[in-house]
Amino acid sequence: MIRRMPWWLAGILMALLVLFTFSVFGASRPFGASTYVPYFAGILFDLSPQKYPYLKEVHFAGAWEGVMLLGALTGGFLTSVFVTKTFRLSIMPTAWKKYKNSSVISRLIWSFISGFFLIIGARLAGGCTSGHFLSGMAQTAVSSMIFGGVVLLSIVVTGKLFYKSEANDV
Amino acid sequence: MFDRILNMFTTVANETHGSVLVVFLIGLFFGVLIQYSRVDKFEKIAGFAMLRDTVVPKMLFLAIGLASIGLYFMVEAGVASYHPKPIILGGLIIGGTLFGISMAILGKCPGTGPVSIAEGRIDVLVGAIGGVFGGLVFTLYYDFFKKIMGESLGKTTLVSYFHGHENLVVLVFGIFLIVVSIIIPLRQEFDDVDLEQLKE
Repeated sequence: MIRRMPWWLAGILMALLVLFTFSVFGASRPFGASTYVPYFAGILFDLSPQKYPYLKEVHFAGAWEGVMLLGALTGGFLTSVFVTKTFRLSIMPTAWKKYKNSSVISRLIWSFISGFFLIIGARLAGGCTSGHFLSGMAQTAVSSMIFGGVVLLSIVVTGKLFYKSEANDV
Repeated sequence: MFDRILNMFTTVANETHGSVLVVFLIGLFFGVLIQYSRVDKFEKIAGFAMLRDTVVPKMLFLAIGLASIGLYFMVEAGVASYHPKPIILGGLIIGGTLFGISMAILGKCPGTGPVSIAEGRIDVLVGAIGGVFGGLVFTLYYDFFKKIMGESLGKTTLVSYFHGHENLVVLVFGIFLIVVSIIIPLRQEFDDVDLEQLKE
């Protein structure tokens, strides 16, 4: 049996989480999850917020998301070990093998490059799936609808061009 | 470095956006939810890019639909406020394009990535290292990226265009997205772990 929450229940709970985060009882701010990355980069490379205006700009949002991220890592780890029982060290996603190739090096190089541009893209737009798509569209923000439309289009076009349409034999 | 990590906690504690515990619990709940619904899997997001899995859009549109209606009435009741992001066309279009391409290839976004690292995904950890370098480059060359992002055309919301009919607009918007989430056909792409568990 697959230990999994159905999509509709996850959708309802996600809406409640967003509403709680927005509310004065929660955090009085939108839920977001990409500002922590430059914030952590600043810590890891010991860049001073006095010298780099961007770090000054994200000083609070980055810290907030950093604490939130620690919670997410804890929650994800405990759930994968005790509830879904899917915790295992792995490198190669099943569907990458099926629709791309079976080279570990290829997967790791593409992971690094896409991770790099994922953050550049999110920071250019000012948000990611959480901050723009989820929290932004819930406010009917025009900026988030533009972002959402562009992302949906580019994700589907990339899916079509980057992966094979027929599964490899694995 | 240690004092800066400590500073992260004191920064949150000194602001009025939830105590450190509340913010941690928001993250904990998010991590459980993402892990338990399995949308942190490569097969879910890259699978959606290939249109072989529709769990992510179904869940996301349902959540936005419900949250948009709930949030509007919470704002009316004075227990929440809107914080829309600015319309920066260059940033939204170029950033959104890069973001979508990367999401299709990595199979994660910045929120689901850490949750999948927490279940042992090494390829995503490598992606996260790439991401930290992305954050570094963005910070170092912020002046350059700012030019790409362009001027802000304001922080407008759809409801603000319909003065006097905000309730109706929000309801139509929210219900439309909920209906979309229901009519998108459910397709699922399984990974090895799912297939093992299916046999049990």
